Amino acid sequence: MSETTTRRWRWGTNRWLVLLFITLSAVLAGIFPPLRPHVQLPAERLTETLFTLPLIGEFQLSNTLVALLLADAILILMALTVRRAVRRGEPTLGGVAAAVEGLVEGLYTLTESTAGKWTKTIFPWMATIVLLVLIVNWTELIPGVDSIGLLDEHHIENPEACTFDTLFQLGSTEVVAVGGESECASGVVPFVRVASTDLNFTIGLAVVSVVATQAVGLRAQGRAYFSKFFNTQTLFKTPMFGAINFLVGLLEAILEAVKVLSFSFRLFGNIFAGSILLFVVGSLVPIFLQSAVLLFEFFVGIIQAIVFGMLTLIFMSLATLGHGEAEAH
Amino acid sequence: MEGNIVEAATILGKLLGAGMAAIGVLGGGIGVGLSALGAVQAMGRNPDVAGTIQTNMILGFAFAEATSIYALVVALLILFVF
Repeated sequence: MSETTTRRWRWGTNRWLVLLFITLSAVLAGIFPPLRPHVQLPAERLTETLFTLPLIGEFQLSNTLVALLLADAILILMALTVRRAVRRGEPTLGGVAAAVEGLVEGLYTLTESTAGKWTKTIFPWMATIVLLVLIVNWTELIPGVDSIGLLDEHHIENPEACTFDTLFQLGSTEVVAVGGESECASGVVPFVRVASTDLNFTIGLAVVSVVATQAVGLRAQGRAYFSKFFNTQTLFKTPMFGAINFLVGLLEAILEAVKVLSFSFRLFGNIFAGSILLFVVGSLVPIFLQSAVLLFEFFVGIIQAIVFGMLTLIFMSLATLGHGEAEAH
Repeated sequence: MEGNIVEAATILGKLLGAGMAAIGVLGGGIGVGLSALGAVQAMGRNPDVAGTIQTNMILGFAFAEATSIYALVVALLILFVF
């Protein structure tokens, strides 16, 4: 330890902060005991029908859409911060811009090692998917998500078992803390719910990924790309093996559709199960245990984002190869 | 909860079905363990490329986890949708 860089702490401050927060949460859990939020698979809607499109149907604002817009705003802010830092012309960036730069560089290195020649085409898809899914998964960790919402007392079965303590007034609306039996939480519709728990988001993203894979394959190989699915090359030379190859080709086409299901349900299942775990643990043990689950959910969010991106990367770089071509790095 | 027998039977069926569907997560546990086994053995033989091996281990872990997540999703569907 040199004399220029020793920092002597007379007392640690962080440990007292942690102790303060734990006692604060114990006191608050005594005054307002937490309820288990009402869990339902489809996303809840916040407003009535806003407009109707002729073939598609009615549009309501759902709380997962609010979370997705929030994640979009965060991503655009990150991009603008990096742009401003780059415009200043310093050789090294600092702060948020440096973190984003490190992340993008790591993703680019990963893409380069797998895709080789087609990195410039594949990298935007993979990096967008990774960053979007990462930020969307991390909205679960923000306090207030899934817990603060609109109260509709008509949804509750027996409202006499519930207590509504008014906290404060915001204009003409009251802010109320709901207590009592756990059915009382079924009257609360959260404002923000994690977008990955909505099957619309995950299936949509999976469809985009699979269709983009086909597009990249078409671009790389031209019309010969479809010989992966309609494999008629050996059909006339050796009829026996040719027929088997043809059936294998059809199976590959079915496999592409299964990929959509696999992508979407992997992401959906992980994040939805994680949010249910957070609800249940938060209502059973109100003090500190939910923080451990939050840490676990942090890592699950990262891993699922990277897995989604890497699978997209791998399928795209497989699509740019042809039949029987060896991978050239 | 009082009520008729149909409601009680539905709830009973739901709970039993979800419990039985959750047995499927067993396969995921074995798969993840095998993936980690392979990775750790490979790292023991060749410690230089531990970074690459770790990346591929995470990838294999996510694939193996996916099927147990499907079983979990079936259990959740039974509990909350039907």
